Amino acid sequence: MTPVLHDWVLDAGCYRVRLLASLLGADLDLRSVDVHPGDALRSEAFLLLNPAGTLPVMEVDGSVLTDGPACLTWLAATHDAGWLGDPSPGGRAALQHWLGVSHELAATLGAARPMDMLGASGDPRPLRLAGRGHLRRLDAALARGRWDGRAFLLGDRPTIADVACFPDVALAGDCGMSLDPYPSIRLWMRAVRGLPGFVPMPGIHPLHEASPFPEDARGSGADAARGTAA
Amino acid sequence: MRWTAVMLAADLPPGAAAGTTVDGTDLAVWRSASGAVHAWTDRCPHRGMRLSHGFVRGETLACIYHGWRYGTDGACRHIPAHPSLTPPKTIAATDHACREAGGLIWVGGTGEPPVIEHPHPVRSLEVAAPPEAVARAFGAAEGVRVLDLDGRAATLALQPVASAATRIHALCARPDDRLALSRALDARRARAEGDAA
Amino acid sequence: MTIAPADRAAWYPAAPSSAVTEGHATPTVLLGEGVALFRTDGVAAATGADRRALAVTERYDHVWVCPGTPDRALFAIPEAAMPGRRAVPCGSIHVRCSPLRAVENFLDIAHFPFIHTGILGEEPHTEVNRYDVRIDDDLDEVWARNITFHQPQASVSAEGALDVRYEYRVPAPTTAILYKTCPARPAEWDVIAIFVQPVSEETCIAHPWMTMFDDATPHADMVAFQQTIFLQDRSILENQIPARLPLDPGMEVPTQADLTSIAYRRWLKRRGHAHGAQLVAA
Repeated sequence: MTPVLHDWVLDAGCYRVRLLASLLGADLDLRSVDVHPGDALRSEAFLLLNPAGTLPVMEVDGSVLTDGPACLTWLAATHDAGWLGDPSPGGRAALQHWLGVSHELAATLGAARPMDMLGASGDPRPLRLAGRGHLRRLDAALARGRWDGRAFLLGDRPTIADVACFPDVALAGDCGMSLDPYPSIRLWMRAVRGLPGFVPMPGIHPLHEASPFPEDARGSGADAARGTAA
Repeated sequence: MRWTAVMLAADLPPGAAAGTTVDGTDLAVWRSASGAVHAWTDRCPHRGMRLSHGFVRGETLACIYHGWRYGTDGACRHIPAHPSLTPPKTIAATDHACREAGGLIWVGGTGEPPVIEHPHPVRSLEVAAPPEAVARAFGAAEGVRVLDLDGRAATLALQPVASAATRIHALCARPDDRLALSRALDARRARAEGDAA
Repeated sequence: MTIAPADRAAWYPAAPSSAVTEGHATPTVLLGEGVALFRTDGVAAATGADRRALAVTERYDHVWVCPGTPDRALFAIPEAAMPGRRAVPCGSIHVRCSPLRAVENFLDIAHFPFIHTGILGEEPHTEVNRYDVRIDDDLDEVWARNITFHQPQASVSAEGALDVRYEYRVPAPTTAILYKTCPARPAEWDVIAIFVQPVSEETCIAHPWMTMFDDATPHADMVAFQQTIFLQDRSILENQIPARLPLDPGMEVPTQADLTSIAYRRWLKRRGHAHGAQLVAA
């Protein structure tokens, strides 16, 4: 049975699930939730589904998953366990580490975002400062991986660790944080955006550089427009 | 004019664009498919959008907003809304001097950039403190300095970003030193930011 | 800060109607000044920083406030009263940009293939054909007509790509209205508006709102579609330099595709609107 994802287009946690499903080629039955302005997370109908009043919510085989990494784990386990990383003790520990980091990112950068974007109550400044610490450690870890030729968090192939951490990092600009100081994060995001099946969300652009010049796609050459001297 | 290192060359592969700031001036730095590096004022002449958010195709950088495409000389080559129009030569991105040398990308100088002895890039990191405070905490001078960091030889190039932000680009002599140096840089950053606070 | 008379005399959205409830004040900011919104026996009211009562009107699911003495009534959207339409307020999005930049972006079609890729446009269909723009002196509004553009997914209910017809209307300095081919009823327009609340010269709150003929699409999907579009624009709007809209020629380079924006800037300048504008080239 196709999993049902209770979804909001602007929610980074829901985007994680949509992104992994697309990367896996897995079907999702999307049900839009009017989080803003409808405040539907506090409706009785939604609270009956998830008493925590949070997204994402995924209904699968009669059970209800209400944790982002749990949804990712279910999708990977049912479609391609390679996305769970290396099953060695070290590999499993590393996966849990980064899934934990993804919760921290959501609790800092992810929590600041609706304050900046929708005027949600709260002070985003301490959240941004804590988020900066996570970005710094992520950038350092990714730099270390690059010394050994690894483009992704757990190695040379993407896993749900990358998918779990990607949205709140890539959307840092939405809460006024520049990613300019983090070159390894920039290269990692580019690697994620370049994966077959990648889908964007508002605030994260598709990888236009991967498309050919449209005049080439149409079969006519135009050297000047391609920037090469005629 | 002195050159300022703005990033490790390894951090800008062909086909990539990135934003950076030197003394408050925002720049879009990009590398074309053929490998040449360029630094432009981070502003598309059309609607003021940051070009560092744009995308590289071949030997052009395109603005993300309307896809206006600029050649390596900064001149606008293509306006997608008017595909058959040859853009007037007056439409151009503002070019800054930019060189790749010694594993670093340098902007804004004249003559040759400084010679860098150490071949292995470690990483770049930003310190939320002014260049003087960073130079003190790291035992480095503004500009480029070779130094011994916890017993390991490293080259640090300092980039003044804003009044309370400095970037450090680190290279080292031996690949085996990279992890220890990376940790040492983190520790010194904490010290510099503590001093500045 | 002094505010130009024309800016004081205009109507601005101050909140969605749903946010202004009986029994307590809703604080907000307009042109850099604190405003309190109230509702008593169903009627909305507002006071300024000095507790002075401000002119208020409530239309199109929003509370509108004029900080000074209004020089005209709030513009009309006659379609809003047509039977069979659904009005959909799409939320309140905070943006770090001039309110005028937010309006100008809404009037622009050339960015669709790059910012709303696969929805409102896509390469190679990037060409913007010549269209008609005029400042209507009787209405004192900017109008753009006869715009057509190739759109892969023009609305939630569109089935496949369409050559879509557009008209734009600017009836107030921080409001723009789009009339767009209605897939369900080709003889009618879908009406999509952006009501922009000027918080300061470099920050605003956009309240997208629409009225459509669409009985089939769930409400949440209609809201999600419009939020997708507007949040795709937000990352652009927050990265334009300068943050204020330059009204003098020289700072930016327009083309034929930008005729609506040229007219909008000229109209703002002629009317004396300065809030959110950059008047001297920096």
